Amino acid sequence: MDWATIIFYLLAAVAVLTAAGVVFARNPVHSAFALVISFLNVAGIYVLLGAEFLAAVQVIVYTGAILVLFLFVIMLVRPEDLRELNTAPRVQTALAWLLGLALFAELGLVIATGVLTGARGPYPPEEVAAAGGNTQLIGRILYSEFLLPFEVASLVLLVAVVAAVILGLPDRFLTGERARGLSLSLGHPTGADRVLEAERRGVPAVDAPDLGEPGTIDTGRAPVGAGRGR
Amino acid sequence: MGELTLGHFLTLSALLFVIGMLGVLTRKNILIIFMSIELMLNAVNVSLIAFGRYLDSIAGQIFAIFVITIAAAEAAIGLGLILVLTRRQDSVDVTSVSLLKE
Repeated sequence: MDWATIIFYLLAAVAVLTAAGVVFARNPVHSAFALVISFLNVAGIYVLLGAEFLAAVQVIVYTGAILVLFLFVIMLVRPEDLRELNTAPRVQTALAWLLGLALFAELGLVIATGVLTGARGPYPPEEVAAAGGNTQLIGRILYSEFLLPFEVASLVLLVAVVAAVILGLPDRFLTGERARGLSLSLGHPTGADRVLEAERRGVPAVDAPDLGEPGTIDTGRAPVGAGRGR
Repeated sequence: MGELTLGHFLTLSALLFVIGMLGVLTRKNILIIFMSIELMLNAVNVSLIAFGRYLDSIAGQIFAIFVITIAAAEAAIGLGLILVLTRRQDSVDVTSVSLLKE
């Protein structure tokens, strides 16, 4: 057994175990960290497959961006909303295991008996080395042969950015009501949100003392701050 | 044992995919379901790159780049939806989202 095989088994074992950890962990934060480890190990698998650029992209995009996004959302959601929910109906769980095992058996059968046929591409490892390396070759192909899909992908990302911003806006921006102040609320009516909501309804947000009409002196009323019980 | 074959990588990919599928089907926490979807997309990437490597083609890696792009877009929108969901009903339980059913 050569070193590549040993390294493959190590990376694959950790990747699969941590993937199982994602699914079976009780705490979503533990799931997110297990997912980070799984993705890092899969990046190692990419290196074994000679896809160094994708390994870097995997680390930067998945573990750097997407997982941080996940952790942010877990932090933004209130802890009591994250209570344990691993209580799918028993029938559903059993069915899921059955389907999963069946799918794995089918895939295993195909992998064990299938033979890889198909036209060989023009880039064996020597060609990749001649082109200057994996990254240079991907850049050359991506910006020539796959230029249109690349531009469409950038459009998809733009749409996703706009959609994410719209989804993240507080409700009052979408109902056309003029925002008087910006608050860092997450939609739970606390702080400035409560004041704005109260103003909209026309009720005082805080209990203010009734000072009476300006310019009149009401001698029957105790002055503000005079204390009670007198 | 011995030399690494395409079967090794495809088996790893199948395992990761099935684990992700189990997560989608058995969990009710929408955050875990999203993470499982990311796992499944990642498993598909492994098989795409392995096929590309064993067919001497670079197209597998290009496709994996597009899959990662779409996964990033999906994660951004999906997490925005989760925020709206928790704002509306204070729960990340997918079974409580049944407004269209009623």
